[in-house]
Parts: sequence; structure tokens; C-alpha cells
Amino acid sequence: MAIINQATKELQVKIVYYGPAKSGKTTNLEQVHKNVQVPETTTKSKLTSLATSSDRTLFFDFFPLEAVAIRGFKTKFALFTVPGQVIYNATRQIVLRGVDGIVFVADSQYDKMEENVETFKHLEENLKALNLKIEDIPIVMQYNKRDLPDAAPLEYMDFVLNNRAVQVPSFEAAAASCTGVFETLNMITRMLLHKFLSDSARK
Amino acid sequence: MGQFPQLIQEDIDTIDAAMGELLDKSEANVALLVEKAGYLIHQRGSQESLDATTFATLGSNAYNAVQFMAQLVNESNFTSMYQQGERYSTLMVNVDENALLVIVFPTHLTVGSMKYYAAPAAKIIGERIQFASARAPGTGFDLADLDPTDVAELFQKK
Repeated sequence: MAIINQATKELQVKIVYYGPAKSGKTTNLEQVHKNVQVPETTTKSKLTSLATSSDRTLFFDFFPLEAVAIRGFKTKFALFTVPGQVIYNATRQIVLRGVDGIVFVADSQYDKMEENVETFKHLEENLKALNLKIEDIPIVMQYNKRDLPDAAPLEYMDFVLNNRAVQVPSFEAAAASCTGVFETLNMITRMLLHKFLSDSARK
Repeated sequence: MGQFPQLIQEDIDTIDAAMGELLDKSEANVALLVEKAGYLIHQRGSQESLDATTFATLGSNAYNAVQFMAQLVNESNFTSMYQQGERYSTLMVNVDENALLVIVFPTHLTVGSMKYYAAPAAKIIGERIQFASARAPGTGFDLADLDPTDVAELFQKK
């Protein structure tokens, strides 16, 4: 969960990009890292990737991103990805520890739909193992690879992946060309701030 | 799993003093207080070219992975983790369920001495975190006047 440091006036928030193998989670972080505007006073942090020799995520990718001060608090978003391959499920659970918001990166190709669904189920199970409820965590769906010829229609993607009592925001994306990447990031950060707002109002 | 409390200046002062004493006595280079989700909470000491934020994240995830391994062999807890290098070594010591202390030290110093000096520091820090949790400053982050539409696009593309 988010860390609030009153002494240093910092708010630290963790966002995890989750999804099946090769759906574009790492590409999202690479595009944010490459294209994000940072204030002149801020040095852009490095993107850290723990990958296999074939460039598949082994543990996670990590990119700390500092935003403008919000009500005097320096806001830091820690962006993580998880490995997409099922054999690394234990690793995914480790990375999910303390998560505040999730971007589910789905692969729009028809033949990846089963993997999308399975991975979402794993996400629910992994959160449960961490005593977290999926409905308590802001989630944004990103339907990636919309530029591919065999991409399923959006209505179908929504029906398969976003068909619960409360629908979550979804975005079309082609992360390789940075389409939809910032829209997704800005929506999850906005939802997180909404959540902090309502939580602080409750207290 | 409880939540890491909000820290105020007095908490940081106590933590900083404990970490400072640890560095003075042990002659280690750097001590980092890290929340186990990967957040760097406080740093004492420095080392050239050390990206403390990334180091803290890598450290916490490595530590969490080892805890996962402990579960697989029915070990309830591995309380520390040591990595020996050629010039520098690291020791990670559990503080409480939410935090750990990461120490970077030159290899000519022994891990035994690090553990010896880290234990009281971890105890003081753990007690202070407990104290901060009991104070429950959960209401301190006042966002009452924030209009989220003002920050709808926090991040701009170049």
C-alpha cells in the first residue's frame, strides 16, 4: 500500500503492469521511460529490467517516476511489470506485494484470449494470497496490439475480460508505437488519486 | 499484513540516529531502510553512483523471494540475507513484517560484525515503527481540496 512520509513530504505509490506473456507490459514501461516529459529540475530515473538472455522478463521491470507535487507532497509512482510466463507465478506474487493500482495488459489477438482470461484468474488468486481483494484495487484494462490484423473487436474484449458488476476503464493500445500508453498511465494515476481522496475523506 | 505507518520528523530523527550509529560502529558505507513493497524510506551514508531507489527495490524483492523460498522448505523465517562481493558486500536484515534494513559494506569487514551492529539498530527502528503505528497518523494526508481532474494528465508525452 502507498507510503506517506510526512517528514519528507513524499507519497509513494506502486503500480503493477500485469498480463500474459508477450502482451506488451515491458514495452509499456519502455515507452513511458523513453517518452515521458520530466521537469527540468528532475533527473529521469533508469528503467531496470531483470530479464533472461532472450529478453523475457525473469523477475520484474522497474521504473520510478516522479510527478509534480500534489498538495505539497512529492509524488513518486513506482511502475513494475511482472513476468508473463506461468512458470514465474511465484515471482508475480512477490512483485504484487503492496500494490496500489494495476494495469492489466491484454493481448488483443484472438488466439491469446484464453491466456488473457487465465492470467486474470491468476491475478485474482495472487491478490487473494496477499489478503487483497481485486475490487478494492484500482484497475485499468489495456487492450494492446490493436494494430495487428487479427485483433478481436473491443466489444468482445470487454465481454471476455471486463464483464463484472463494475466495469473498469479500458483503453485501446499499440504499445510498440506508444499509442494508448500514456492514456492508460494517466487513468490509473488519476484513479489512485481518487481513491486516496475518498479514503482520506472517510477518515 | 499491517500497513507501514506514516512517519513524522521525530520518527525519522530516531531512525536516522540508529542508522548513523550503525554506520559509525560498523564502518559500513550505506544503510537503507526499505519497506518490503520496494519503497526506500530512509538512507544514511552514501556511495558513489549508487541509485538508492533502485537498490532498495531490488533488495526488497530479492529478500521477499528468499522468504518465499523459506516457506517452501517449511522454514518460518529467514531473518537475514547476505551477498558477498569482491569489493562490497550487502546484508539485509529483517526489521519487522513490513521493513528491512539493507547495509552495504566493504568486503574486508566481516558479515558477523555487521550482524552484531545491525541487530540493535533494527530493534530501535522496529520499535519506532511500532510507536508510529500506535500513533496511527493515518489521517495526516489531507487531500480534501484536491480536484483529481486537475491532475488528470500527470504524465505528458514528449
